Amino acid sequence: MPLLTVSNVTLSFGGLNALSGVNMNINPGLITSVIGPNGAGKTSILNCISGFYHPTSGDIQFGEHKLSISSFSPHQVSNLGIARAFQNLELFSGLSVLDNLLLARHQNLNYNFLQAVFYFGKASRVEAENRAYVEEVIDFMELEPFRHQIVGNLAYGIQKRVEVARALTLAPQLLLLDEPMAGMNIEEKEDMVRFIVDIRQDRDVTVVLIEHDLGVVMDISDHIYVLDFGELIGAGTPDEVSQNPKVIEAYIGEE
Amino acid sequence: MSANRWLTTGNYFTSYQDEQRIFSTRLDKLIFIGFIVCLFAWPLLIKLSNRNMLVLDTILIAIVAVLGLNLLTGFAGLISIGHAAFVGVGAYTVASIIRLIGDDHVLVTHAWPLVIIVAGLVGAVVGAFVGLPALRLRHLYLLMATLSFQIIFQWIINFSTFFNQGQTISVGRVFWFTGKIVRKQHYVFWYYVILVAIVLLGLGVRNLLRTRYGRSLVAVRDNDRAADAMGMHPGLTKVYAFGLAGFLAGIAGALHAYLYRGVGFESFTLHHSIVYLAMAIVGGMGTLSGSFWGPAAIQFLELRVEDLAEKAGHYFPSNMNLSTALRPLTFGLVIVLFLMFEPRGIANWWRIVRSYVKLWPFRY
Ligand SMILES: Nc1ncnc2c1ncn2[C@@H]1O[C@H](COP(=O)(O)OP(=O)(O)OP(=O)(O)O)[C@@H](O)[C@H]1O
Ligand SMILES: [Mg+2]
Repeated sequence: MPLLTVSNVTLSFGGLNALSGVNMNINPGLITSVIGPNGAGKTSILNCISGFYHPTSGDIQFGEHKLSISSFSPHQVSNLGIARAFQNLELFSGLSVLDNLLLARHQNLNYNFLQAVFYFGKASRVEAENRAYVEEVIDFMELEPFRHQIVGNLAYGIQKRVEVARALTLAPQLLLLDEPMAGMNIEEKEDMVRFIVDIRQDRDVTVVLIEHDLGVVMDISDHIYVLDFGELIGAGTPDEVSQNPKVIEAYIGEE
Repeated sequence: MSANRWLTTGNYFTSYQDEQRIFSTRLDKLIFIGFIVCLFAWPLLIKLSNRNMLVLDTILIAIVAVLGLNLLTGFAGLISIGHAAFVGVGAYTVASIIRLIGDDHVLVTHAWPLVIIVAGLVGAVVGAFVGLPALRLRHLYLLMATLSFQIIFQWIINFSTFFNQGQTISVGRVFWFTGKIVRKQHYVFWYYVILVAIVLLGLGVRNLLRTRYGRSLVAVRDNDRAADAMGMHPGLTKVYAFGLAGFLAGIAGALHAYLYRGVGFESFTLHHSIVYLAMAIVGGMGTLSGSFWGPAAIQFLELRVEDLAEKAGHYFPSNMNLSTALRPLTFGLVIVLFLMFEPRGIANWWRIVRSYVKLWPFRY
């Protein structure tokens, strides 16, 4: 049974259809990639899932109980266990890496206001527990040297990594990654690929990946959806997709 | 844990709970406690005139108010030009209680700490209410909401007979365990009360800032889309920031009412809102210590401006009121200069001094 179902989603801005009748099934435990030329609607579909846009028509359902989330706000979606890393960095740039990740633990810091004001036992204990969780993610994403640095001052590649780490710190069931390797050099890219594969394998997180680098996509995806001008033009395993004439046309047509 | 933050060697922690501490070393804690003890002890040794004591008390009250404004504007990034009205809400809560039960009722004269807390709570509720537009509006529009509140507040006070149309509503003398606080003890007594309030509120705010209730403020300031994606409700977080600011302002207002033994509208005008903003900017937005430096610096400046106006007054025709002209001019100038040359405020000078001491005798 799919973890997330996108049924017949259409999203229009004025006259323009950013998405028209898109259907997707995201199966648990897999890496599902969404590819397509610039402006194809990849970020739009992620925005619809994560609550930043609401589909003009169609439905999005999540989890065992097929909860319809298409009208949810981002924080509601996030609290269901769907985390997202943004294409254009959306970090808390004035805060340290540590604080950025601690902010992702917001919902797990379950002490109340008065306990916070007096910093009673519980507040202090829960903070320390969540700090330990954050440290574990920092280890995992190999961000140790940058722990206390202000995010805005870090190199672009590292900021991208912090972006993914922060989404991971939400301890999601489903992780949406919007071009996590864009603008990276080969070495950084290889690291990121390794992180994504490990996230799926070691942390048991289902991944949706948007990526332009077809080499990477074909390598690590279990399933691929191809978008063009807001429409789904192909879907299947990497092999199926790479032999799909429509897909070949869209990609060659682009060049 | 023997190292300290004044030395360059740094600190090494053995647990996350150690790292959370406000005072990372024993020396820091000792310095802080020593400082507080001095603040409590000096009035026993040195006697200031009532006038100087009043200036000091006024600065301390402004610190409480600016602490609130700094949380709202510095930490949560929501500019308010109605902060004096929030302070006014606290003061007029005291005034309302007096209008209802009289200024010699035991509630007002004996249970005054309770009255002050109630004023804070009323301030919080009104603050959150005024902040409600934050659910929808942003930036400049939100600023207009605070300005409207300032204007509506002044209007209500000036036109309602319940509030004596803005004329002073007097507040009776209070009692302590030692008996009635008479004129001679008044200013020193309130110095202690306000000092206790500052220590408690300051520690409370410091605590908040290392928990989710503080981090979420900075989150909505830096990036409210990301805050949303992290599971925070950005709108409600902003409303909460307004409530927090309203609480501290309310406390400041109630203290003001008791210290001046009266409440009149002229202490809570737009001019005062701008002065609070100046204090927050000059002290250093988004830093806790800025809330302490700012009021002291601006109050000092205000006294100098008055002196200057008085001296210069001899050379100008007496129908020109120099100090009314000079004040907004100096404040405007100081705000602009700080925004241009030291947007991080005096708190940044403090930081520089500290890092200099830390590296001494090396240059860098
Ligand atoms: N808020 C918006 N208002 C108007 N049009 C929008 C908006 N967001 C997206 N679009 C349009 O929707 C289309 C799809 O955009 P989207 O960002 O989803 O593309 P993408 O596949 O992510 O492209 P890229 O590879 O460049 O990131 C584009 O034509 C874009 O101009
Ligand atoms: Mg995109």
